[in-house]
Amino acid sequence: LCRGGLAERLCRLQNRERSAISFWRHQCSSDAKIPSDKPGVLIVKILQMFEECTIQVAICQQLEESPATLSSEDAVVSAGEPILKVLFARETAAHLKSRPQDVIHIYPPWQKLLLKNADVPVIMNTYFSQKVLLRGDSEAREKTYSLTKMLIRKNIVSLAQTFRLDDLGEELPQESPQNQVACGPQIHDQCASKQHPLAQSAVNDSLLEMVESQGAVGWREARVRVIIQRVYSLPAREGCRSHIQGNKPLCATSIISSDPPNVRLCLLVQDAYGMFSEVQLQSLSSAGDIEQYCRRWEGKTCCLAAMKILQRTTRGRALGLFSLIDSLWPPVVPVKVAGQSQDSEMMTANLPPPSFCYILTVQSGEIHVEVDEAEQVSNLYQPPAVHGLKDILQIHGCHERCSFWARVLYLRLQTKHSVPINQRELCLFVTDSTLQNVLPSTPKAVAVAVAASCVLSREITEALSLVSQFLFFKDALCSNGRIICVERTVLLLQKPLLCSAAAADLSELPGPVRLDELDSATQANSICAVRGTVVGVNESTAFSWPTCDRCGNGKLELCPQDRELIYCNQCSKVVISPVLKMQLEVFLSCPSLPHSTVKVKVWHEMSFGLFVLINMLLSLQSYEVQSVLGKEVGLLNCYVHSVTSHPNCVALQEIALL
Amino acid sequence: VPDDLLLGLKFIFGPSAVPALDLVDQRSVTRVMAPSGRTAYQVLGSSGKLYTCYSSCHFCTCPAFGFTVLQKSESLLCKHILAVYLSEAIGACQELSVSEEQLSSILLAEEEDEG
Repeated sequence: LCRGGLAERLCRLQNRERSAISFWRHQCSSDAKIPSDKPGVLIVKILQMFEECTIQVAICQQLEESPATLSSEDAVVSAGEPILKVLFARETAAHLKSRPQDVIHIYPPWQKLLLKNADVPVIMNTYFSQKVLLRGDSEAREKTYSLTKMLIRKNIVSLAQTFRLDDLGEELPQESPQNQVACGPQIHDQCASKQHPLAQSAVNDSLLEMVESQGAVGWREARVRVIIQRVYSLPAREGCRSHIQGNKPLCATSIISSDPPNVRLCLLVQDAYGMFSEVQLQSLSSAGDIEQYCRRWEGKTCCLAAMKILQRTTRGRALGLFSLIDSLWPPVVPVKVAGQSQDSEMMTANLPPPSFCYILTVQSGEIHVEVDEAEQVSNLYQPPAVHGLKDILQIHGCHERCSFWARVLYLRLQTKHSVPINQRELCLFVTDSTLQNVLPSTPKAVAVAVAASCVLSREITEALSLVSQFLFFKDALCSNGRIICVERTVLLLQKPLLCSAAAADLSELPGPVRLDELDSATQANSICAVRGTVVGVNESTAFSWPTCDRCGNGKLELCPQDRELIYCNQCSKVVISPVLKMQLEVFLSCPSLPHSTVKVKVWHEMSFGLFVLINMLLSLQSYEVQSVLGKEVGLLNCYVHSVTSHPNCVALQEIALL
Repeated sequence: VPDDLLLGLKFIFGPSAVPALDLVDQRSVTRVMAPSGRTAYQVLGSSGKLYTCYSSCHFCTCPAFGFTVLQKSESLLCKHILAVYLSEAIGACQELSVSEEQLSSILLAEEEDEG
């Protein structure tokens, strides 16, 4: 950094500010009563909140004095008070955990920004904020917290606005003045296409009526208006094609296949009566589009016409589908009840969850699903409720759908490499900030099984093999603390635009990832950290072998034509410079698990600390085992293969976290 | 430049603030102008690589922009774009006049790398 430059100045200011902030946070947590009558304290009541690029924006009303003496009913929003747009940094938002109607005290130093073309002043540098708990209802609030859904919405600025295409739009002759054209020529064309004769017919809002009137007069033209609750892809029913082409098996080290699996895009829709239906659409050319469809379509209204009924399924026969439907029940707004007049609507509290569901599909060749992407998200839409992994592990029910945002630490293929890609099963070891924040009884990382029925998009499979990723798991199945991704679970690279969440659950990890240390509670198929002293070496299992430098294939063969050369089957080429891999099994004495034999398989590439050890042992015929005994082994990250008792033995394999 | 303003920049732009100010301190931003009036910005990054930021819209050719801003929506901008705005605001932009062909090749240069 330049001496005396602006960057150096900011660094110094920032360090001072950071210590002031941590002092403040400490003060907040230890002493609940910080006087609010100091000068410069801003008192605001939050009306609405949303998130924009990690900053939480809260539309607030400025209050004259703290309503600490008033009860919650008295603190009515009065029209005359000034409105402010208060920005909170991500850490402040996580610390505050605020919701609409909360009252926040913002202590100086904060800053006010008046923008030229906006009326609402912006308040920033709000690090020193504290939520005021109104007397009497703090306990009730904590209990209802999990039930309250808070929407985090991202504002999207259209490119047409950026490029000022709106001005262009006004100059074009108005062909259809009744269509409200918000921006440019592209949207204009879409509106014009709505003059299609199909658009003229009346739109119904009952799925049941549409299904029951199938075949009747005028049925083909009738349209049903529904809202899209979920978008996902299902493996196609028409038999799984084998992806072994010719003699070339799948590459051993990657789970990417050049031939995309056969999947169909599906929607779970709900009508105004609360009835659900699964609509199976066209096959996706690549499962990679699913993230886009989720973004564009979930929560929006769409019109279905002339659907073909594939099946009427019931709860007993489609557990997976109904576990998803149950997670969306009861509806968040009142739904209509059949038989009653249009005006009367029943409260949803008494309605039993659905017991049947129609599975529909489009007639081949015709597109009868019109999604209104430009419209606002419907009130009936229930975004996935995101929870921290800590809370999810405590769910005791069976077959509950849950959504979470977690970082993938380690990936393990549970099926053989030769299994076709659409039948592969994975195990992902994940963690999030709720698990990393230390609590003795919760594990620091948890295994998420990915069944073959869960469709992974190409983007996800590629991302998983590269670097550590945060993934959004939407509608995974949780059963007695075990999480599996099955049919209708969607893994996404980005958080969805709308989700109901507690702010802390979408945050980054507090620091470098820590794993639980190996102890008596460690189980097989988990990951842990190990430290100890080398007490023995399993000489019989120590070996080295050549691998292909291109694809990593460990099963090289001698070339049939020339037995001096090595050949790789997967690349179908001669390997000129193979990479030598070495493996060694060592026995450790671990202080955390004193009565068990701990066997760790270590790899040349990873254990630099043990590299010297391995080199010594394998390079020459003569070596001194004695010289490596007693060597201290630092914190190694390992995958637990097995834990046996009688004799107490734990078999581990060193791994590299992503 | 008052301290408050610097802290405000830090609040809004987070981790991009200090690197952007560093780029400004080092006078790394150049406004490239062609006779037609078309402009672009070139920023000399910390690695020595030259990145192009467009003036007509919010875009930078650096990998951080593509990842943090476009893909993950975690940030509003990258340090190069912020450096461009700041340099313009305090008049610390270097200026370079080029021909139309040269400006076109600057804007097209990114495509050649990918090809």
